[in-house]
Amino acid sequence: MTRLPRPHRRDGALITAAALVLLAGSPDTADAYIGPGAGFAVLGSFAVIFVTMLLAGVSILAWPFRTVWRMIRHRRTSKPLVKRAIFIGFDGQDAAITERMMAEGKLPNYSKLAEQGCYRKLRTTYPSITPVAWSSFSTGTNPGRHNIFDFLDRDPRTYLPRLSSTHIGSVDRFLKLGKLRIPLKKPDIRLLRKSKPWWTILGEHNIWSTVIRVPITFPPDEFYGAQLGAMCIPDLLGTQGTFMLFTTRPETESFQEGGMRLPLSRNGSAGSFEATVKGPENAFYEGNPPMELPLHIEVDRAKAAATVAVNGSRVDLQLGELSDWVKLEFKAIAGMKVAGLTRMVLTEAGEHVSLYMSPINIEPGKPAMPISHPSYYSSYLEKKIGPYATLGLAEDTWALNEKVTDDGTFWTQTQDVDDERERMLDIALDRLRSGALVTVFDATDRVNHMYWRYTEDGHPAAAGIDDPGYADAIEQQYIRNDGIVGRVLDKINDDDVLFVLSDHGCTSFRRGVNLNAWLLEEGYLALKDGADPSEPWLQSVDWARTRAYAVGLVGIFLNVKGREAHGVVEPGDEANAVKAEIAGKLKGLVDADTGDVAINEAFDTDALYRGPYKGNAPDLLMGYNHGYRISWDCASGVVAGGVFEDNVKAWSGDHIVDPRLVPGIMLCNHDVESDDPHIVDMAPTVLSLFGIRPPGHMDGSTLLDKESL
Amino acid sequence: MFGSTKIKLDSSLIERIRKFAEIAGYSSPEEFITHALEKELALLEDAEDEEEIKKRLQGLGYMS
Repeated sequence: MTRLPRPHRRDGALITAAALVLLAGSPDTADAYIGPGAGFAVLGSFAVIFVTMLLAGVSILAWPFRTVWRMIRHRRTSKPLVKRAIFIGFDGQDAAITERMMAEGKLPNYSKLAEQGCYRKLRTTYPSITPVAWSSFSTGTNPGRHNIFDFLDRDPRTYLPRLSSTHIGSVDRFLKLGKLRIPLKKPDIRLLRKSKPWWTILGEHNIWSTVIRVPITFPPDEFYGAQLGAMCIPDLLGTQGTFMLFTTRPETESFQEGGMRLPLSRNGSAGSFEATVKGPENAFYEGNPPMELPLHIEVDRAKAAATVAVNGSRVDLQLGELSDWVKLEFKAIAGMKVAGLTRMVLTEAGEHVSLYMSPINIEPGKPAMPISHPSYYSSYLEKKIGPYATLGLAEDTWALNEKVTDDGTFWTQTQDVDDERERMLDIALDRLRSGALVTVFDATDRVNHMYWRYTEDGHPAAAGIDDPGYADAIEQQYIRNDGIVGRVLDKINDDDVLFVLSDHGCTSFRRGVNLNAWLLEEGYLALKDGADPSEPWLQSVDWARTRAYAVGLVGIFLNVKGREAHGVVEPGDEANAVKAEIAGKLKGLVDADTGDVAINEAFDTDALYRGPYKGNAPDLLMGYNHGYRISWDCASGVVAGGVFEDNVKAWSGDHIVDPRLVPGIMLCNHDVESDDPHIVDMAPTVLSLFGIRPPGHMDGSTLLDKESL
Repeated sequence: MFGSTKIKLDSSLIERIRKFAEIAGYSSPEEFITHALEKELALLEDAEDEEEIKKRLQGLGYMS
């Protein structure tokens, strides 16, 4: 018999109560916004605690009235078919690898689930990239309706790239008090993913959802439920992940984009050094100087060990071992601090001393930005499981790419983040009496990216392999995922529906394609006289003579009059003709060095997408063949160099290719009729499971109905 | 909780918005209104500072 699930009051009230307990003893930490060029909230620390406690108290007192109002306003017209709908996402889990391992008996829980219900490949989005695919999962719509086409968008006024999923504004109004300037408002932070996620719709029908680390949830949605945000939450510096390397080695080259090299200076004895940790910009002072913390390190070379003193903590390190989370609190002004978490590795303790510090994550117990809904949910989780990673892309791929860390450190980072995630899942699953739960695990995607070079003979990046022990890292990750699925299977009941899915697969990334170099060769892009084509961000481009350019990871934009600031291509017939001409030349483009087809097809996005935002997409979307992807240089807007180049970085596998080549996976504890499900089907399916008719704007179809349950 | 403002619109306008929003693929009339206003604002607002943009993108693993 189907019962109406009761509104899930327990989590909301308990989270609120926990928050009150937490906050009663909170030290003075600013509810501060951090980031390049941004400012801080006006409220001082005491006022923040007072207001937060007041809001939490009001929330508890108002809960009965809100619940009744919600029940009146959103009386359900049909009964839910299930008690709980649970989605476990393994970002990047590849269908071909999964099928092979299932056939080999290496994934017994996947096999069990498939036998009980079903296994299907899951079609992914165009492009097959995390922010796009998970946005389609969340909203049930194609990118033309949710507005996420890439990690990056371009500003047509400047041609510069920007994050596609989040807008973070600056503060431009201050009250000056001597040397200080007090920001008079918080900067505008907006989620740019459009449409409406299914958990919001469930909430409108009084059905609780817990949403843990689904990409493109920063800032978090507000709905009847709880959410821990994910991509693209920045680090405390406001970037997507800047590591620091403190070293006695003299500076040679700077790191590419991902990290800072900072001097470690001798201080007294031969084993004693000091440095300065760079924190967020301090908007309370003119020029936004960085907040800083002194760091001291005592090295014992004989024992290959060191003790680091920073922020009142003493951390003992063994060479090559990743520390636990270390809290850092940067002082903004008197009585106001900004808190973060980092992990460290002593990477050298010989003639030279080097210390790696991971990107400083926003401290979940005292978040400087809105990373969860309700705002205290991140604190609640921290009290339950301890400190955890909050950065959107939490695993430090750039430190491995730059050979600052090694395969072992990166493996530990990914596994620890997954451990944290599973503990969050356990808490949420244990507490969920009815409603929906989704948790996304990221390690699979990162491990695919960074250890793919171990799986292919002759991969250009294989020359850099330092430890053959990681040859089976990808398989080990998939086996680990199988274990997680097994533990979830042990906890679900007959009236629960479980989906295990991935947003896309993965394939080799051996050769990079510089589309801008190709456009230059073919005469679609021109350079300014005397410009240096190795400058990033298309700074060398002469827009008055450029008809097409590539920004971001997935495609080509036409330089259209009236759309781009210096557009030259007439919209309509001329643009369509240029687009068709470029697409025709790129279809089947051969890499002369290898004889392989690099680009299967260049897709016309006007035909691909439908919806009010499709005009924001690149005009042509690249469908790279196995082994190929946009080059590192092209992704940074560098025009110089050849069209094709070897990829020698540790980041050796990727999925920004022809989406038909990298489907994801879907398993369910019920059979689904469709042989060819798509990730957009998940949203209408979960709504149907709770008796809600999917709205007309959703593109997906319901996979499960009353008959199939 | 305090993040939105109510605006009054003529009911006939609301009806037209409601119809068009559904046809165009918006999830709600509110989304359509927001998008229309954002497009207008984009024409008026200044572009972001280049240095701030570069800093924010630093560390994104898919690109150098």
